[in-house]
Amino acid sequence: MSAPPPANFEALADQARTLLAVLIAGGHEAVSPPIIQPAGVFLDVLGEALRGRTYVFSDLSGEELCLRPDLTVPTCRLYLERHPQAEEPAHYCYHGPAFRFQPAGADAAHPREFHQAGIEAFGGEDREDADARTLTLVLVALQQAGLPSWKLRMGDLGLFAALLEAAEMPERWRRRLRHQFWRPDAFRAELRRLTTSPARCGDHLPRALIEALDPDDPARAESLVAEALDKGGIEVIGVRSVAEITEGMLAIAADAKAKPLRPSTAALIEGYLEVKAYADQAPAKLRALLDRPQGRFAAAIDAFERRGALLKESGVDLSEVPFSGEFGRNVAYYSGFVFEVLALSLGAASPVAGGGRYDGLLRAVGAPRDVPAVGGAIHTERLLAVVGGKA
Amino acid sequence: MSALVFAVPSKGRLMDQTAEYLAGAGLKLRKVGHDRGYRGEIEDFAGVEVAFVSASEIVAELNRGHAHLGVTGEDLVRENIANAAERVTLLQPLGFGRADVVVAVPKCWLDVDEVADIAAAAVAFRREHGRPFRVATKYVNITRRFFSARGLTDYRIVESLGATEGTPAAGTADLIVDITTTGATLAANGLKVLEDGVILRSQANLVASKMAAWPPETKKTCGRLLARLNISATAV
Repeated sequence: MSAPPPANFEALADQARTLLAVLIAGGHEAVSPPIIQPAGVFLDVLGEALRGRTYVFSDLSGEELCLRPDLTVPTCRLYLERHPQAEEPAHYCYHGPAFRFQPAGADAAHPREFHQAGIEAFGGEDREDADARTLTLVLVALQQAGLPSWKLRMGDLGLFAALLEAAEMPERWRRRLRHQFWRPDAFRAELRRLTTSPARCGDHLPRALIEALDPDDPARAESLVAEALDKGGIEVIGVRSVAEITEGMLAIAADAKAKPLRPSTAALIEGYLEVKAYADQAPAKLRALLDRPQGRFAAAIDAFERRGALLKESGVDLSEVPFSGEFGRNVAYYSGFVFEVLALSLGAASPVAGGGRYDGLLRAVGAPRDVPAVGGAIHTERLLAVVGGKA
Repeated sequence: MSALVFAVPSKGRLMDQTAEYLAGAGLKLRKVGHDRGYRGEIEDFAGVEVAFVSASEIVAELNRGHAHLGVTGEDLVRENIANAAERVTLLQPLGFGRADVVVAVPKCWLDVDEVADIAAAAVAFRREHGRPFRVATKYVNITRRFFSARGLTDYRIVESLGATEGTPAAGTADLIVDITTTGATLAANGLKVLEDGVILRSQANLVASKMAAWPPETKKTCGRLLARLNISATAV
């Protein structure tokens, strides 16, 4: 494994000052959350997958800690320490190191230790306005740091959530599709299964019991499940109760009796994921998916359009910014607007900046409810490599 | 000189079976020095230094390049080396030390039959108990990779170094990832293996290190040894 080359410390520090000055002038208070973070919070938010990319360790007291893999979650925690009720809006900016294990070995493009400069805006009720301001400020900071040109990409995960609401199907199917959304292959397989034969066909599932269960009579279902366990001589062990097992069995029974998802509904969902257009033309394409979009989906398209207009007012040209229904499918905590800034010389695998909306994250970290939140971060080593002419 | 370091299990059935396997090719291991020592040689076979170490330590020795060849379980290789394909070569499965690494849940979970069902159950479980499922295992990395490839994210690993099968009944974990040979221990503890829950069919392997220094002389010794064992040497 080759060690990353020594960073150009002074140039990085100069660049950091420039970036922070822009972010502070943009109305964000500079904060410096701890580098060492409790691992549990990250595990709750990102799951055990975190361990694959993060330096997780136990200290001598046995507490499980990690070196922060980014600054978003630490900044959320800092906000909640100051405002446990999350009742006040706040705008923070930061510059500092973050750490990631690189399974294929660390190199200059994928260092295990790097610096992020970024902003987070919490509690802004006007979401489109906060989204547009965030992206605009990140772009201004990049420009001030000397980045002459860039390529922007964007998506909106709120559109998908709203489309799913509009599609006719049982809520448990929506939950399954939402769950698989992050993995395109599994998502397609699930969609195909729901469209062809939603009934489960595992050999070990208790057929007779599934036949006997009536989804509309949960009270009787529990005694039927208890009876089946008893007859089979199966001891109930563990924390999960018979009531919980019954709930799962009822979902299986409901699927066994359910009509498959209509092909037109599956086509609608697939059609959405295939939408590719320049951002200023995307709303028209999205509206064309449904005869007459209503409710949340119509509102989500309107919001997308309004955000676009606000960005245009701030001088961000959307006519050549590609929008894709699929974009943003890789970070599980984003919930709405997502963006990436690419430098032409670095390629799509190494964006110089990225960010998005994550309205559910603060609650996962301990806030009493969902809190509107949007942020963006700049990968400073990459930025320096571009403006310093090394990439 | 540049001896070929050959790491073999230092105790238990795996040691006996390794000795039997080598004896089948007319190779006899012998300890050097006092009887409780950890160094040895192969009788009438020059250039090989035998190191007697525990099976898990063998993986570490191969990964660090301190041993050229070793006999160890594939489960230990997959668990303890992050990018195994770049650091070691599995030369040959040896037909002993068989064990499956499996996902097992309580038999009473009638609604959980496949790995995907765990995700559905986890949603209701979190609502009822305010926490994710706990998965007891000593195979932390294998478990994480397997679940992540199947999109299962809402769980926590509880490291367990013994009596893992007992943890669901004891309430310290909800399901487990563990090795099993016949499944009898799992059944005795009220557990069942999920239909698609076999993560790895493991057995003892002859493993070569890509991290060790391989001067021509060592390579030659290795070639001679592999020829005796009827293994194609091109892999090294």
